[in-house]
Amino acid sequence: MKMEKKSVSEWVKSGDPWVWLNAGAVSISVIMVIGLLLLIAVRGLGHFWPADVVQSTYALPGEKAYTITAERVESVEVTSAQLREAGINLPDEGNKLLQRTLLKMGNRDVYGADFGWVIDQYISDSQTPEMLFTAERHEWGNLYGYIRSVKENGQVVSETQDITPTASALATWEEFEERIERTTEIHDEIKDIEKTDIGKINHALERIRLEQRRYELNGKLTAAVEADLAAERAIYDEQYKGLQQQLADLYQQINRDTFTVQVMDGTVHEMQVSKMVHAFRPNAMGVVEKMGFYFVKVWDFLTGDPREANTEGGVFPAIFGTVMMVLLMTVLVTPFGVVAAVYLREYAKQGFVTRIIRIAVNNLAGVPSIVYGVFGLGFFIYFLGSGIDQAFFPEALPSPTFGTGGLMWASITLALLTVPVVIVATEEGLSRIPRNVREGSLALGATKAETLWRVVLPMASPAIMTGVILAVARAAGEVAPLMLVGVVKLAPTLPLDGNYPFIHLDQKFMHLGFHIYDVGFQSPNVEAARPLVYATALLLVMVIALLNFSAVTIRNHLREKYKSLEM
Amino acid sequence: MSEEQTHSIDISAMQRSQQALNIEDETVCLSVKDLHLYYGEKEALKGVDMIIPEKKVTAFIGPSGCGKSTLLRCFNRMNDLVDSCRITGEINLHDNNIYQKGTDVAELRRRVGMVFQKPNPFPKSIYENVAYGLRIQGINKKRVIDETVEWALRSAALWDEVKDRLHESALGMSGGQQQRLVIARTVAVKPEVLLLDEPASALDPISTLKIEELIHELKNDFTIAIVTHNMQQAARVSDYTAFMYMGDLIEFGDTNTLFTNPAQKQTEDYITGRYG
Repeated sequence: MKMEKKSVSEWVKSGDPWVWLNAGAVSISVIMVIGLLLLIAVRGLGHFWPADVVQSTYALPGEKAYTITAERVESVEVTSAQLREAGINLPDEGNKLLQRTLLKMGNRDVYGADFGWVIDQYISDSQTPEMLFTAERHEWGNLYGYIRSVKENGQVVSETQDITPTASALATWEEFEERIERTTEIHDEIKDIEKTDIGKINHALERIRLEQRRYELNGKLTAAVEADLAAERAIYDEQYKGLQQQLADLYQQINRDTFTVQVMDGTVHEMQVSKMVHAFRPNAMGVVEKMGFYFVKVWDFLTGDPREANTEGGVFPAIFGTVMMVLLMTVLVTPFGVVAAVYLREYAKQGFVTRIIRIAVNNLAGVPSIVYGVFGLGFFIYFLGSGIDQAFFPEALPSPTFGTGGLMWASITLALLTVPVVIVATEEGLSRIPRNVREGSLALGATKAETLWRVVLPMASPAIMTGVILAVARAAGEVAPLMLVGVVKLAPTLPLDGNYPFIHLDQKFMHLGFHIYDVGFQSPNVEAARPLVYATALLLVMVIALLNFSAVTIRNHLREKYKSLEM
Repeated sequence: MSEEQTHSIDISAMQRSQQALNIEDETVCLSVKDLHLYYGEKEALKGVDMIIPEKKVTAFIGPSGCGKSTLLRCFNRMNDLVDSCRITGEINLHDNNIYQKGTDVAELRRRVGMVFQKPNPFPKSIYENVAYGLRIQGINKKRVIDETVEWALRSAALWDEVKDRLHESALGMSGGQQQRLVIARTVAVKPEVLLLDEPASALDPISTLKIEELIHELKNDFTIAIVTHNMQQAARVSDYTAFMYMGDLIEFGDTNTLFTNPAQKQTEDYITGRYG
């Protein structure tokens, strides 16, 4: 056709190669982003699916066969030479590819490790027995086994010899499930008392201790004051004793029930029902039941506290910490950036100095974030923080209040990190406000400040929001500086609670980004942690997307309101 | 364009204001004395002397770049916003030199309101646009603001069109309505002088006609100075006309005389379309 007659140079001149190049670059970017999201979505969301537990016989050549009950995690291909090098005794059949599978066998308390590799070709007799159950525990990871008996105060309530779904086995299972439900309720009650009521008392006692210390430092600690404080303390001590008693009762109740379980090597173990979180028989569940259970697990993940060095349980404190820190940062950075931009654009005499300042502001945006972390640690925490402690919290010393990393310093550090973005965006917005609108306001007798406040800033608000959106996007994903200024692996309490002053700006907090790092790379149980890394990464992406989405919605709303600009 | 068409001035409109006018008989509202204005090195006004009579319409005509808009913007010190601008001479508003040191510029602009070439409503509701000037003055009584808004919108012949949608955005109005809204907004603060800088140049003929009728109404209450490119418009709406050229005030007199019997050759050339 005609196309074929065209020479290469003509084709280059026509501009087509550039179009192809651009389209190619765009498609590669899009594919990479979608691929990334898909990967973390599949891996992360798959973790919560109640997988079947397979029982099979495993016999390596020349070794004794034994039974394995486990969930399949993943398969890889390895060469037999590699396996031989690893010390596995394989019959010499040359070097060929073998399928190797990672199994989650659970029962860490029994076997020592809860994951193991098996070579597929030596597995035989695989089946999914209905009575085989999975239990998530508060400690020691998952339990896999057959229920044998349920005991109350050491007395057997229900018992079975069967590992098939006979009447006695099912009855024992039901008994077991009921008792887990009961202990879960008691568990919640205990947690509520410990966190809320005892937390309140601790808070009050700490306040009294600080008050006493304050009097002591001022030299005003008279016997009368001391007696007052002691009386006050006595009230709380009394309350505490009451709660203590209540807790002791609850603990006794929760430890009432035990059960015995037969695990894969045939041994029977006795355990406390109170140590179980959920127990379910995945092999007996239909797809719909599994779906229901799936959402329960996802919900637990979103709203629960982490367990077992963060490798189990939920990430709620990390979600809460991330969102709270980003919101606080937004509240700090917006007015600061806007005021700076207004001065630079509207009041400062434009010239050499403002140009230098603009360059400096733009360069600030390019400073590596860890540098901000170091600055935050050195200036905010060690200098400002310890100054604040000496001036306002001398009674708490030597334990620091603001002289250590915390929510406030983390937010301020990130605000500093993102303020250039807000300044640049706001300046851009201010420069786009048509001159005639400003003149219209001035001509009515408004001063420059009134014009700014009533007309110019509202009209520039979409641009300001653009800056805020960029700032949020950057701050929410930032981890490095936070490690220096207040993020911790595990925070015992949320930075927001019912105790005065409600928002605890001095408290350390958890963060999803740091959680990923911690779970993925600092965890003792790598295999158990890996799916959580994906799930947490997916969650972090979604939290950031949600924060951005709300900011974009606000901006679009403002744009709609002030869309006169393009006249 | 043929010469016939360009100088076909609408005489009939002029005959509406046939009463004899004499600048000597007028009360002086603004007087300009030896006003020079420089943009950097460039002299944009080269010594202007004139008066703006009270409760009359004074039109400024002249070719582009002659300094008529610049002069108008001197009356409420809008040129202060231009960094490189420098002014000598004086402008007196009822015997007070507005370029005196210590003049409250915001107060001056409240007394000398201005309407610009392009409608520039604020991105607020119609009501809030008109109330803006009052709120700036610290007036917050709803009753007072309600009354003033209605009065101002009636003065700008806009009330009947917008009374049912006062709280809708002003940006949804047509260009002509927007310009009348801007006039209402300016009138609402009850200035003494209204400066109109080519108020109808961005509007269609019907809107232009409405603005012109409005000017006719408003001159009962306000002193009006209007800059226009359109000589017919100047002839139709003004009592006095000033012709400017290259930063000089060439001729100033009552509109009838200036258009029918100009004293200066340059004026005659301009209004008959020989240049400009």
